[in-house]
This record gives sequence, C-alpha cells and structure tokens, in this order.
Amino acid sequence: MLQKKLSHDVTFTIGYHFTRLIMAGVFIYASIDKLIHPDLFAEVVYNYQVLPGYLVNLTALILPWLELTLGICLLINRWMAGASALAAMLMALFVGMTIFNLARGLDISCGCFSTAPDEDPITVLTLARDILFLIFSLGLAGLVFIKNTRQRFYGNS
Amino acid sequence: MLLKSCSLAPTLVWHHIGNTVRQAIFIILLSMALGVTVNLIRPDSIHFVETWSMADKLVTEDGDTLAIPLEDAAALFADNAVVFLDARSPVEFDQGHIQGAINLPWHDVDNYFETVIMTLDPEAMYITYCDGETCSLSHDLAMLLKDLGFTRIKVLVNGWTLWKEHDLPVTTPSS
Repeated sequence: MLQKKLSHDVTFTIGYHFTRLIMAGVFIYASIDKLIHPDLFAEVVYNYQVLPGYLVNLTALILPWLELTLGICLLINRWMAGASALAAMLMALFVGMTIFNLARGLDISCGCFSTAPDEDPITVLTLARDILFLIFSLGLAGLVFIKNTRQRFYGNS
Repeated sequence: MLLKSCSLAPTLVWHHIGNTVRQAIFIILLSMALGVTVNLIRPDSIHFVETWSMADKLVTEDGDTLAIPLEDAAALFADNAVVFLDARSPVEFDQGHIQGAINLPWHDVDNYFETVIMTLDPEAMYITYCDGETCSLSHDLAMLLKDLGFTRIKVLVNGWTLWKEHDLPVTTPSS
C-alpha cells in the first residue's frame, strides 16, 4: 500500500516538474524575440486582425512580458496556481486565434516564437503544436490544483 | 478521515480558486508595469496607442501617400490611363477581378518576374489592389515595383471589395 502510494507520488512529482519546465521553456523562449522587437511584434498582432487598432501596441508591449513573467514563475516554481492557470488560458487563446485564422485562410506569420514576417507561418502543424502545449498547460494546472489542495488538506490534519 | 475530506473539499477548492485569481492578477499587473516601464526607457520604444490602418501604412517617409481613392482610380480606369495589378492568388483572380487587370500574385512574385514584370512599362501608371481593409499584398507589391524603378504606382486599399460594391466593370467566370 505504502509502496503504491510512493510510486504514485514519484509519477506525480515527475509529471509536475516535467510539464512545469517544458512550459517555462516555451514561454520564456517565446517572449525573447518579441521583447527585442516590439515594433515587429505589433505588426504581427495587427496582422491577426482581431483587435481594434488602439489595442495593438499595448498588446504587443504587455504580452511578451506576461509570457516572460509566467515562464519565470513556472521555472522557479512560484505562484504556480496563478501562473499555470494563466498559461492554460493563454494557450487556449493562441489555439483559438490559430483556428480562427486558419479558417479565414489568412496567410500570416504566427509570431509565436519569431517576429520575422517570413518565418513561422500559421499551418496545421502550428495548430497541432499549440494544442500539445495547451494539453501540457491544462495538465500542469490540474497537477498544481492537486498538489496545493493535498498540501493544505494534510496541513490541516 | 472520509468525513473530514467531504467537509473540507469545498473549502480547499475555494481556497485554490482564490489563490489562483490573486496570483494571476498579480502576474498580469506586474507584466503591465514591466511592459510600460521598459517601453518608456528603451531607445526604440513604440507608441502606446497607434492608429493601425492600411492607409497610414501607405504614407511614405516624405509624406506622400501611395493610397488612391476609389473615385480617382475609377476615373483613370474610365480614361484607360491605368493598368490594375491584382496581387491576390491566381485562384482568387480567376474567381473575379477588375476588368483588364493583370494577375501578379505577391506570394509567388518571383515566378512572375519574367512573364509579367519584365513586360511592364516602368513609366506607365499602375494601381495595385487586393481584398480587405488590412490586406497588405497590394502594398508589398507596390513597394517592390517602386524599388524596381516604377515611378507611378498607387494602391487601391480594399480594392476588389470596393470595386464590386460600386458596380464598376469586373471580369468573372460568368461574364
């Protein structure tokens, strides 16, 4: 019984840290080029054609910092409840945007990891990749929930 | 133990939700503060709010605009004084285009260099167009032609839609 519980805990811990580190890497890497080139990222945001013009630059200025902050939180294992929930929400948003633009047939750059206009065009592969990251993020949010409630439960007993 | 689990469960869930919301708000506020502060101090900062429209993108550094109003484009068309260049894909072009327009798809422009661009007169008047307020194909094509030495280039923003809406002459598969 004790052995089963221990093996459960090991699997849980590995899953938790694996998804945490993967998503930390994804968000930190995704933020770098956007932070360096806010002007180019603003064009990417504009090309998505989903935001009113006055929100384009604000989004281009804040979103990369949000990705970086999230990534750092996930990396250093702090504020995990908020960071994992935000990561899942952001990934859901990116998946939604990708589907929307694929359906509209817009030939635009994804801007996911690079702000260069000719790189990273939106394709079905982009969608598959984003869905995979969304699954990771949702899984991480679930694991954080279990971890936190468990800790609190045993802390109260 | 089981009784304790049942009575604690809602409290634990609400506690987690509360924590999640608090932390998420904090992360968002921190990111906003960082984004704004860094943009204020960096040398290559951008405007916080900017008007994003294709017409603005068409203004050149010397203040001229590449955009041409529909009325002017239609007048040039009526005088037979302009050639329209359709920057959309051949499929879209075949489904309908401005009468007399030449298809020069931006995404495949290299393959049209010898067959189309080399045959154009650099001194003649050209208007590029594509479809949609934010479509940048016509703008990109116009910039390329300007770089190639074409001097009289204009862009009809949202050209295909505008042209159809005003019942100006078009060529369609049925016509």
